[in-house]
Parts: sequence; C-alpha cells; structure tokens
Amino acid sequence: MIFNPEFSAQQQHTTSPIVTGGSVIALAYKGGVVVGVDTLCSYGSMADFKNVEKIAQVSKNTIYVSSGEFSDFQQVVRELAKIDRSALQYDDGVHPSPRDYGNYLARLSYKRRCKINPLYLQNVIAGFHNGERYLGLVDIYGTYLESNFVTTGFASYFCKAIISNYWNDNCTLDQAKQVIRECFKVLFCRDCRAHDVIQLAYVDEQGAHLEQPERVETKWDFSGFKNRANEKLHTQ
Amino acid sequence: MLKHLYDTDCVTWSPQGKLFQVEYAMEAVKQGSICLGLKSSENVVLCSLKRQPSELAGYQEKQFKIDDHMAIAIAGLTADARVLCKYMRTECLEYKYTYESHHPVGRLVFKVAEKSQHKTQSGAKRPYGVGLLVAGIDPNGVHLFETCPSGNYYEYKCQAIGSRSQAARTYFESWFHLFEKSTLEQLILHGLSAIKKAIMEDEELNEKNVEVGILGKNQKFAHLNAQELKDYIAKLEGFNPNSQIQQE
Repeated sequence: MIFNPEFSAQQQHTTSPIVTGGSVIALAYKGGVVVGVDTLCSYGSMADFKNVEKIAQVSKNTIYVSSGEFSDFQQVVRELAKIDRSALQYDDGVHPSPRDYGNYLARLSYKRRCKINPLYLQNVIAGFHNGERYLGLVDIYGTYLESNFVTTGFASYFCKAIISNYWNDNCTLDQAKQVIRECFKVLFCRDCRAHDVIQLAYVDEQGAHLEQPERVETKWDFSGFKNRANEKLHTQ
Repeated sequence: MLKHLYDTDCVTWSPQGKLFQVEYAMEAVKQGSICLGLKSSENVVLCSLKRQPSELAGYQEKQFKIDDHMAIAIAGLTADARVLCKYMRTECLEYKYTYESHHPVGRLVFKVAEKSQHKTQSGAKRPYGVGLLVAGIDPNGVHLFETCPSGNYYEYKCQAIGSRSQAARTYFESWFHLFEKSTLEQLILHGLSAIKKAIMEDEELNEKNVEVGILGKNQKFAHLNAQELKDYIAKLEGFNPNSQIQQE
C-alpha cells in the first residue's frame, strides 16, 4: 500500500474484514448450553492461523465466541472483561449475568453501526445463570436475539436442517455435542473457509468448561472419488 | 463556643477533628419531618409524615420512585433531594438501556455517597442537606439503605430519620426481631405504629399527612392510595405486635 499523507489523517472505517474466523454453532441442552467453533483464522482465502483459541470465558458462567474480523473479537473480549473488573471495584458481590453481557454487546454493536464503523462480527454469548440457560446472538448491526440454538456465518445456511432434525433442547450434553460435530463435518465439506479442527465449550450450573480442540471425522475414500480418479479421460 | 472559627467552609477542620459544615448539614436532615423504612425477607415499606406549610397549602411529598425496583424517602432540603432523585433516576435508566436489567441497589447508593462525599471536600461547594432512605430489591435480596450528607451510607433492617425519629427507632428496637417474617400488612402496620410514636400530641395520623410506599420481590414500587391508608390507619387501633409472637 502506498503511503498517502492525505488519507492517514482520515478516520478509517471497517469496510471489509481482513483476518476472519469461521462459523459458530451453539445449542442449549438439558442443564446448560454448548458452543462449537473451528480453530481457524483465515487471511482472505488463505488458511493462515490454524490453531487459534476462539472461545473467550468472560466470567465464571459466561462464554463469548464470534465469527468475523478476529481483531474485533479480541477488542470485544477486552471490553467485556472491563465490565467484570469494574464489579471488583464496587466490591458488592454483584456480577453481570450472561444476559447483561449480551445486552451490553448489543448496545456496543448498535453504537458502532450508527457510526458506520461496525464491529465486523456476529457474536454469540452463552451462559448459565440462576438455574436458567442463556444463549444470545448479536449481529453486525446490533440486532439482539435470544434463542435456544444459535448459528453464525455459513452454519446458518447449511446446518439448520441438521439441527432441527437431530436436536431438541432437552437432549443430553453428549447428544448436543454430537450434533455440533456433525454440523462442522458438513461445513468442512461445503464452506471453503472452514477447518476440520474444532473446539467445544459448555456452560452448566458449575460454570464454564472449555475443552481441548478435536478434529472432526471426515471421509474422503468414497468409491466415487477413487474410481473417478482412476478413470481414463475420454478424448475425442 | 469557638465553633465559629472553624465552621465557615468544608475545607477547615476543627481541632477536635470535626468538619462543622458537614455536621450542620446533618442537622438539616434532623429538622425534616420523619420518614422511616423497614424490611422483611420479601418486602420493604417506607412511611413518612408529610408537612403542610400552611392550611392553604398542599402536603409536601417525601417519597419518590427511582425505578420499578427502587424508591427513596427524603428528610431535609427538598430541593437537594430533587437533584439526587434525578441523578438516581438517570443512572437507573442508563443501566437499563445498556444491560436490560435493574441497577443493583447497593451500587447506586454507593454512587450517591461518592457524589455526596465530593461536596464535603471542596472549597467552593456545600454538602447536600438531605438524608435518603433508599428501599430496593435486586438479585442480592431486599435492601434498605440510609445516606447522609457526609457521604456515609449504611444498610439497615429498619431505620427512621428526621424530626423525633428517636421515638420511632425506640419502637423498632422493641419489635424489629419480628420484621423478617412479617407479612406486608404487618410491616405496614408496624411502620404506621412507629410513625404514631413520633407525632406531636395534638396531631393525628390521617390519609392526608401520611405517605406509605411498598416494594416487594413481586411488587413494583407503589404508593398506598387514600382509601388504603384510611383502612390501615383504622386497623392500627386493634394492632398488637404481641399477637405476632404467638403466631410463631
């Protein structure tokens, strides 16, 4: 990029993201919520950073994940941490609930959208508070939705059918995790910016639990592929 | 005697370690008409005696809603109270806008106390001349706080401030062990009984000069209307806290 003194004085607005994270899928199960995201940060179409921890634990019972511009994700993690820290200053034992974080992020996103300088993210806040599960979605415009399942990015297109056929919000943790793994399997096949290593995390009444990254099963030895590769090309 | 040497402003200590301006401000609270608050495990009740400057005038209101889950009763300079009330309401509104939940009560009282303390450490300012009883409900439970012009704040099971409040506090000392398990009706009757101890001989409690506000875990802040006040005042005759002990 040529350095142009004229442009450096202007405020730059985020018009397109540079380093991006992939889809997020979050489901409620009986007793908590579980979130899955892959461990890839893409630099355009290049799979640049393949081992990224993208699940942030913002408080004891709340986790935050997002897809989109990764530097914005890191900034939001800092903003959310500020809230919990200010609670320490008041020293009154009152900590934000997951819903408080969700609404705060919605306000923050909306404010940035109004300045036409958005946080280029689709955000998911997941938590468990006072015996209630919480799953919130905040998009790039500041739209705020609570639901018992949430998807961002390409997962919204490819995975909703899988989720509605194989999941209900009363299933066990293992069943919900299995549905998420199945969704990421499909995403890896269909979404060009997806990765086959994912990370799961769940929040129940004991708090947030982050798991180690795992590789989704993929199957490439279909006979169709094998035969096709060995086919002689027809030439005319 | 030598008080006047050290009482001109807030930035002068007396040799005995007192800030006289702050103490004078607390006097203004003691001159206000009585207001009191008491809480159980489910409810908080605020009772106050309203003053009528003259027969031609209305009665000065002493209780103000801050938010659905919080209210204050004031004693002292009403104009100063109005400033604090506006501040508290704004803070609650901003908190609700950002987090969609209610401002934690203790935290708002702390903010008011910070504001009040600031006025006691400046050459050009005077302390607020009003004491607040803040009643509120939040996830931490049921609360009753008192704030002072000095910037101190305290949490109470029950408290009375203003003119002749000692009489009400004496009533509380005898009966406060019953409040935790009291019903809302019993709390209101206790509150009115305490106020009754604090009125002058020639005065009487009626629905015009008494103000009762109630707050509960499932009850947004509400004032009792004139008819309800009349009914409760009528019930005072037959109210005997001793019977509450026999129930338990």
